[in-house]
Amino acid sequence: MSNELTYPCSLSLDVPFPDARLANVALQALRVDKELSALVQKELSAVDSTLKVRYKATTNRMLRVAVNSFFDSLALVLEVMEQLDVDVIEARKAEEETG
Amino acid sequence: MTDLLKKPRRIALGCEGSANKLGIGIILHENDTSTVLSNIRHTFVSPPGTGFLPKDTAAHHRSFFVRIALQALRVANITIPDIDCICYTRGPGMGAPLTSVAIAARTLSLLWNKPLVGVNHCVGHIEMGRAITGASHPVVLYVSGGNTQVIAYAEQRYRIFGEALDIAVGNCLDRFARTLEISNDPAPGYNIEQLAKQGGRILLDLPYAVKGMDCSFSGILTRADELAAHMKSGGKGPDGEAFTPADLCFSLQETIFAMLVEITERAMAHVGSSQVLIVGGVGCNERLQEMMGTMAAERGGSVYATDERFCIDNGIMIAHAGLLAYETGFQTPIEESTCTQRFRTDEVLVKWRK
Repeated sequence: MSNELTYPCSLSLDVPFPDARLANVALQALRVDKELSALVQKELSAVDSTLKVRYKATTNRMLRVAVNSFFDSLALVLEVMEQLDVDVIEARKAEEETG
Repeated sequence: MTDLLKKPRRIALGCEGSANKLGIGIILHENDTSTVLSNIRHTFVSPPGTGFLPKDTAAHHRSFFVRIALQALRVANITIPDIDCICYTRGPGMGAPLTSVAIAARTLSLLWNKPLVGVNHCVGHIEMGRAITGASHPVVLYVSGGNTQVIAYAEQRYRIFGEALDIAVGNCLDRFARTLEISNDPAPGYNIEQLAKQGGRILLDLPYAVKGMDCSFSGILTRADELAAHMKSGGKGPDGEAFTPADLCFSLQETIFAMLVEITERAMAHVGSSQVLIVGGVGCNERLQEMMGTMAAERGGSVYATDERFCIDNGIMIAHAGLLAYETGFQTPIEESTCTQRFRTDEVLVKWRK
């Protein structure tokens, strides 16, 4: 009798970014935090400008909870990129100075 | 010769979100001076009778992080190249809120190509308290919703001499506010303090649970809750007359603050210090400051406390402590920039002090 967990539920996400730099930033920011539960496994990688996310879970419910949480974190990373990247801040400053 | 001793100009951005306050602060260190360039904060307030939960609190921090950061940068009036490092609270605190802020801090670190510094929340409070008040070698009473510790510095560690054995004193106050369904705005502890000023006709009997250098608050909370239920059902006090929520708040404060004063005094005696520094959200409480001040004066010493800009969780304290560590060469690699809900104060090597 094997005590090993099986992960019958899985989900793949491919998140396209404008460029490889931003995909790599997202990868490094998001892969640090491990899944809290052993019932879920997550793999992150970046290929060119795409962030690839692979989830496996023991049940659909665990999968849903984990993926929803990931999307929340991803949304935060995207907002930070959109509003707080160096070129965005510099552009906003220039705009405020001319306005 | 003096030029050799000059510290270079350094700026840190600090991110704090271990509980229901999200704060971002920017601090400048130049020579021996620390200057607060900006200190922006937003508090997640839950309805009366409820406490803030990790999931909702994390959602709050995620939704406010970018606008708070932009505001902090605007107020500080600096450019991205000016910033030397990004500091974030590594712990202790609530898991989901800590993680949400750490993810944002990591993203900034990567986008701006700045080093990341993980900071202990308690050390942040202590260092900011020391910087603001100028206290050189105090016994520190750190009191908040999540922590109650009596701390003294020795041999490059902030040593914990005494602490709460169960719930933090601020947790006790906050949960009692829930029992009375007091508003959580601006903070339940503040509202208890205001009610206590109206009370005092009678001092109700509550357990006094000091255990050597440590103390315990769970029994007091239970007894206070029982008294509140008794009051609501029309019960009378020991003098045969009715008592009010204000009397309950007064009695709770007198009892638990006297306990804190006792363990602090005991630590002062052991350490041989005449200074007390009160940090953490409960350190805002003027009655606690008054009681501690009386004790310190009787011992020929003095008490130091900060106002609510710095008592309450904020980003500037993380920036300050983080920059102190950064200046000694400490950095947190991105792959190690996790959070931990339990991060003991004495785990931090304090290389920036003699």
